[in-house]
Amino acid sequence: MNYVARIALIVAYAVLALAALGRSSYQISTKLAEAPVPYLVSGVSAALYLVIAIALWKRWAGVALVGTAIELAGVLVVGTLGYVEPTWWADETVWTGYGSAYGWVPLVLPIVALVMLVRERRAVLSSSEPAPSSGDAR
Amino acid sequence: MAVYTGVVFPLVLVVCAALALAGAATLAFPRLHRAVQWAVPVTIGAVALQAVTVIVLLFSGADVDLILTLGYLIASVALLALLGIGRLGTPEAAAADPDPNRPVLSPVQIARVDAASALIVAVAIAVVSWRILVILESGA
Repeated sequence: MNYVARIALIVAYAVLALAALGRSSYQISTKLAEAPVPYLVSGVSAALYLVIAIALWKRWAGVALVGTAIELAGVLVVGTLGYVEPTWWADETVWTGYGSAYGWVPLVLPIVALVMLVRERRAVLSSSEPAPSSGDAR
Repeated sequence: MAVYTGVVFPLVLVVCAALALAGAATLAFPRLHRAVQWAVPVTIGAVALQAVTVIVLLFSGADVDLILTLGYLIASVALLALLGIGRLGTPEAAAADPDPNRPVLSPVQIARVDAASALIVAVAIAVVSWRILVILESGA
């Protein structure tokens, strides 16, 4: 992954982490009893964004890959459940409506990150494979 | 209140637009990096002005959610730390880091990193300022 794309991703995740942390900490500290599931989901998403931002910064490729995969699954599951079972959600989460309150950035960002991380992983694996021998082994 | 809605909020929006424009232009043409470098202190000034105005409003007895308003205010200030993040890729910054794998960015890469972060931060600050406006108007 080129450095510019990686740092842009880190900045985007840091901004999202800040937004989700602010929102969830306010909701959890002031009105958790009103809608525990949505507010805890927002808290989990905030923690995930923070972990991914740190993992991208520290170049922990495995952690970043797993984190973004969980994030994408979370956005898709929570977004879909919000439409299928709206009664389960007393309030909105960061991932409600596939992240529509955040301009769908929560949906787009893990896809972009996953594509970049998988490409990087493939490049690393292909460069670490031994080169084919040119002559017969005797 | 009128000072924030009529002067400070529009000013912050204009500054954010200028920052985003400078970021987009620098992403396309890295030699325009100076535009982002000029826009960053202007943005810091605008956010500082916003912070002072909102704090004065809060202390003057505005009937708003204090925690929420302060939270957004802190977020707007925290976002400023991400501006000019390309500086972390300079040879001097890399030399000061014990991590031997710390990347050193070329000037073009530094310009593009600064530009991308300027774009993202400009949008985020505009959204945060709009949220502060909504909160203040709801309490007016």
